[in-house]
Amino acid sequence: MTDTGFRFSTVAHLEFPAGPVATDFATLREGIATVPPGSLFHHIIRMVVRHPRAHDLPPNDFARWVGVALQDPETAERLAFAGTQPLLPMEELRASLLRILDDVIGRKRPDIGTPHAAAFHFVTARSVKAPLGVETELPEQVPEVWRHVDSAAAFYHLIEARVLGPVEDDLVLWLERNGGHKLAGVAESLTMGGMPLLRLHREIGSRWRRALIPARLVRRTEESESVRRQEAREVVARFAGRLRKTPQDAKG
Amino acid sequence: MNETVPSVEVDSPLLDSAEPEMNGWLHRYERVVGPDTLRALEAIARRLKGHRIVMVNTTKTGGGVAEILHRLVVILNELGVPTTWEVMEGDDRFFGVTKKIHNALHGHSETLTAEDREIYMERTRREAQRLALDGDLILIHDPQPAGLIALRRAPGQRWVWRCHIDLSSRDPDHWEFLRPSVCQYDASIFSAIEFVPPLPIPTYLVPPSIDPFSAKNRDMEQEEVSSIMERLDLPRRGPWVTQISRFDRIKDPIGVIEAFRMVRARRRARLLLAGGGASDDPEGAQVLAEVREGAAKVKDVTVLELPPGSDVEINALQRASAVVMQKSLREGFALTVSEALWKRRAVVASAVGGIPLQVLHERTGLLSRSIEGAALQTIRLLDNSDLRHELGAEGHAHVRDNFLHTREVRDYLAVFTSLL
Repeated sequence: MTDTGFRFSTVAHLEFPAGPVATDFATLREGIATVPPGSLFHHIIRMVVRHPRAHDLPPNDFARWVGVALQDPETAERLAFAGTQPLLPMEELRASLLRILDDVIGRKRPDIGTPHAAAFHFVTARSVKAPLGVETELPEQVPEVWRHVDSAAAFYHLIEARVLGPVEDDLVLWLERNGGHKLAGVAESLTMGGMPLLRLHREIGSRWRRALIPARLVRRTEESESVRRQEAREVVARFAGRLRKTPQDAKG
Repeated sequence: MNETVPSVEVDSPLLDSAEPEMNGWLHRYERVVGPDTLRALEAIARRLKGHRIVMVNTTKTGGGVAEILHRLVVILNELGVPTTWEVMEGDDRFFGVTKKIHNALHGHSETLTAEDREIYMERTRREAQRLALDGDLILIHDPQPAGLIALRRAPGQRWVWRCHIDLSSRDPDHWEFLRPSVCQYDASIFSAIEFVPPLPIPTYLVPPSIDPFSAKNRDMEQEEVSSIMERLDLPRRGPWVTQISRFDRIKDPIGVIEAFRMVRARRRARLLLAGGGASDDPEGAQVLAEVREGAAKVKDVTVLELPPGSDVEINALQRASAVVMQKSLREGFALTVSEALWKRRAVVASAVGGIPLQVLHERTGLLSRSIEGAALQTIRLLDNSDLRHELGAEGHAHVRDNFLHTREVRDYLAVFTSLL
């Protein structure tokens, strides 16, 4: 048993203006240097929530604006690449964005800009949390409940809580603290890759189930012969039931 | 004086004839957005247990706001958040003044006279006595009913002003008339950050949304599309370039005709300008006459005045289009863009208002900033069916994830939760 279980919550992101408005490289740099970490997180990391099913993620908000409004594809590419690691601490991310913009401003006219109508308005967001009514006591229960967790909740527990807190909602940390090192490792490495959210959600669920197969096999060997036979019969019955279903049933 | 009375029973939004008999709208949404999204909505709604919401606007028919409210009220009730919808009534004089304010807030120069102010205030006083504003949170939509707060706010109530208009080019006189009322609210909501004026109250950003099951957006077989085109006396042979919008100067129908004139000089195509007027828009007839005059000078242009309730026809017209245009000069959000994207149509639209949130340039559609640009992008799409299909598919996915009612409900629930 763990000291405390893990409660899954979904979140809605309440967006509001962060203050700065950029019309050129210099004001973009100033905005990135001064906005709270939550605003950087919104414009770069939270992209995956806005495009959960994308085959390839669109560039982050800064990169897209520099490409479309400032018409600078080279800088847009560099800013897009800087935001591809979702678990990077926000101050490291801020520093890497500023390095790119300092380099650009040093080489180009910083006042090359865009009409005010196409300005970049910094936004930030507050997460409104709501318990899903899904709780686990042990790490090995997490793969079982994972399919009942929506993608916004997955984003919150895997990425947002890890980067912005609070620590009690950081799923990977909870898994590590409670002996679920393998599950934590799988989640951490896949999340670091920065893939689209639905793919990440599914991939983690599938890798977790596979990771638990050896432990399940070991547990089976400890069960009595009659229990194992009963379980085997149930598996065969389920399989036969699936075969009996018509394609129409399967669709419905 | 003619009173404009809403045609739908004020307190019975749940009696909407389009409501499914079994399982409700949320069940239908499950097929589109998945069960996880609905479970998440239910979880957030549980936090509002025991609270009641009242929505207030000025029309039950016509315009995007009424369309959204018809469905949101039902969905919120299905989620267990008791929500009622009150409609502020007005006469021609009141709606004349509010149209003036609406235009001025969009940036068109209008004079707000002392008489206009008195007409607005007098109607607000009358309606403040009549409307049932007894919820825990009152959500006021747009400027027309904004003045109610000073007369009806009860202790403990939260009032939120939801502005669907782009205020970035607002006329200062009109805004100064409205601002003292707005500043009394606990929070404001805007559709996009570019629309937000400086305010001393918290401001939240909530884009509007569409209903994929409404008559305007539901799936439609090709036979039904063809039969509706035939009934409207429109030739099947296209390709059709279409703008479906209220006949309003800010939608730039004359600019669309001019862009099409350039297209038609280079490619064979037909233009359809279709739309109607909202019940609170007395200017529509005049603009329609100007559009008809302009259209008569260009080959293959059809102007179609649609009566209220032409949702099925709009659905068919969008589906029959090779290219859907939205060449607005100013916009609130332009939900017609999301409607076209939902139908996997290729869209050419101006980069104004909420359009760039829906049309990600070269990914879900094409943006333009001039008449020539609109013509150029339309020709690109007419020439390249692969591009049309790619943009259409991406646009559909983008709307599913960001501009369906379930997302807007989630955002509202977040606002309500943070205030109650």
